[in-house]
Amino acid sequence: MAKLYVQAVQPADLNKNTEWFMYPGVWTTYILILFFSWLLVLSVFGCTPGMAWTFVNLAHFAMTYHFFHWKKGTPFADDQGMYNRLTWWEQMDNGKQLTRNRKFLTVVPLVLYLIALHTTDYQHPMLFLNTIAVVVLVVAKLPNMHKVRIFGINAGN
Amino acid sequence: MVRVPFVTAVTTVFSYGVIFGFGHLRDWFRALLRSLFSGHSPAAAGTNLKGYAPICGGQEDFYYRRFVRRVQDCFWRPIASKPDAWFDVVERYSNDSNKTLHRTTKTSRCLNLGSYNYLGFAAADEYCTPRVIESLKKYSASTCSVRVDGGNTKLHVELEELVARFVGKPAAILFGMGYVTNSAIIPALIGKGGLIISDSLNHNSIVNGARGSGASVQVFQHNNPAHLEEVLREQIAGGQPRTHRRWKKIIVIVEGIYSMEGELCKLPEIVAVCKKYKAYTYLDEAHSIGAVGKTGRGVCELLGVDPADVDIMMGTFTKSFGSCGGYIAASKEIIDHLKHICPAHIYATSMSPPAVQQVISAIEVILGEDGSDRGAKKLAQIRENSNFFRSELEKMGFEVLGDNDSPVMPIMLYNPAKMPAFSRECLRQKVAIVTVSFPATPLLLARARICISASHSREDLIKGLEVISKVGDLVGIKYLPVEHEKTTSAEKLKKIQ
Repeated sequence: MAKLYVQAVQPADLNKNTEWFMYPGVWTTYILILFFSWLLVLSVFGCTPGMAWTFVNLAHFAMTYHFFHWKKGTPFADDQGMYNRLTWWEQMDNGKQLTRNRKFLTVVPLVLYLIALHTTDYQHPMLFLNTIAVVVLVVAKLPNMHKVRIFGINAGN
Repeated sequence: MVRVPFVTAVTTVFSYGVIFGFGHLRDWFRALLRSLFSGHSPAAAGTNLKGYAPICGGQEDFYYRRFVRRVQDCFWRPIASKPDAWFDVVERYSNDSNKTLHRTTKTSRCLNLGSYNYLGFAAADEYCTPRVIESLKKYSASTCSVRVDGGNTKLHVELEELVARFVGKPAAILFGMGYVTNSAIIPALIGKGGLIISDSLNHNSIVNGARGSGASVQVFQHNNPAHLEEVLREQIAGGQPRTHRRWKKIIVIVEGIYSMEGELCKLPEIVAVCKKYKAYTYLDEAHSIGAVGKTGRGVCELLGVDPADVDIMMGTFTKSFGSCGGYIAASKEIIDHLKHICPAHIYATSMSPPAVQQVISAIEVILGEDGSDRGAKKLAQIRENSNFFRSELEKMGFEVLGDNDSPVMPIMLYNPAKMPAFSRECLRQKVAIVTVSFPATPLLLARARICISASHSREDLIKGLEVISKVGDLVGIKYLPVEHEKTTSAEKLKKIQ
């Protein structure tokens, strides 16, 4: 096949924990991982496509909430703790809001939600669970929630 | 700016996703099992100190535990001879998947494409070595003292004058360690109320020096004078944080050759921007001094910049000169200021006198003051070797970073699995190559870094090219189209391939 070359420009973001998301191929990989997860669930559990999408949506919710909005700091001692109070989402793009990557990560849960609802024919309890997941994720990603800790939840180091 | 095949970019991110995903899964299971069985373990009970925060967070060494340890046979390889064009690499083995590595007494005679031996002074030299031995007898191996106490010798004073003359500055000061030259000097030059604008790919010593200074730090895109101007305008207009007072001083820090990219700094454009906005320039020539330029004076000579236009010039003696330590060259006032307040000058052991003599002799060879033209030949040789090797690699279809005349040549590997495969296979075929990956480079851009020396002969380079071409085909890292030569180089290319 003909090789499609893309340009990788090194960003001016020194945070190794979030810099990787600015390179080409990350969005595609993200979507491919979701799709292959769906295929995996479909083949392992042998359930309906709708139930598989619901499972993928809920797993995506759990994983991304933990790694993007709950877990704080960076896994590199070089940073000397300067990010210890920030989640990955707050570290991303040096805290700048409404960037392309942030918009992409906000749209993905919504699209997953729509796919899951449509393929489960809007039935409960899948509708309820999917709605809870997408609301929590999208609210956590809003610009107004930058560095906000509701009732001090997850405020410690 | 790197060209990446899109499929390679996707598979690279996917590979790292798998590595990190399984790493976190294993960490989670470890924490789970530890919490379940902690009541039965005396060791765990002993570590259960209530109220104490951990000194080291567990995730700070996550990357080392879950990735580097699996491939650590590709790093930190011990050698058993001088790092000349060919050297002896000690063979190691592991019985537990690289958790521990054991040395053997066997060595491999390998072509050395990994050392910063730019001018070939790492091995014995006919002019330098006898003088070093003589100074060893006269001054002993170390002064065991600081420069302001008993650690100053005639050699130190002579080298400071020689370095100042060599780089074209009025005065210079020496330090015993190259890393400290940056990490201890920057806090001595600028403090609270100052602004440091640093290239995004600057060395860790500059990063730590900037952090330790207490000044505000801003970063501009790598080697991008337009973005530097944008950052300068924005910061000068905005002033200091909260108070918006004017900055006390602004220093822009760049490197002559970036060691992970092999790229030359766009120094004329950057100096022009700095002068326009009245910012100081700090040029780190750790890799470029002695290696580029017609007479080895670095990127100022190569790019046609007057040394008077660069305010502070830093360099190390660990690469082209085959020694240790570093220097700062600047105006006499700046050097006097550093001599009075810099802790690396006041409190650190001074540079070893034989090491000082080695640098003096090396610079004399480069300047031709040894009575021969060996220095000029070495400089011409490294330039010719570098440009030959780079052009041949590019013809073979490798993605090679860096500029012409640069002796540092990164070959892009991208996928994390290809980095150990390339390294091990080249070592098996007697070519020693340094491979680099995240976090020393960005996640997507793992690479093998070739360093060319003036002591490499044309036959050495051709053999290296043959091995790299074969291993490149085997591992699948020829991402660009192969260039077919139809001129008189066809026979040479046929021999290489």
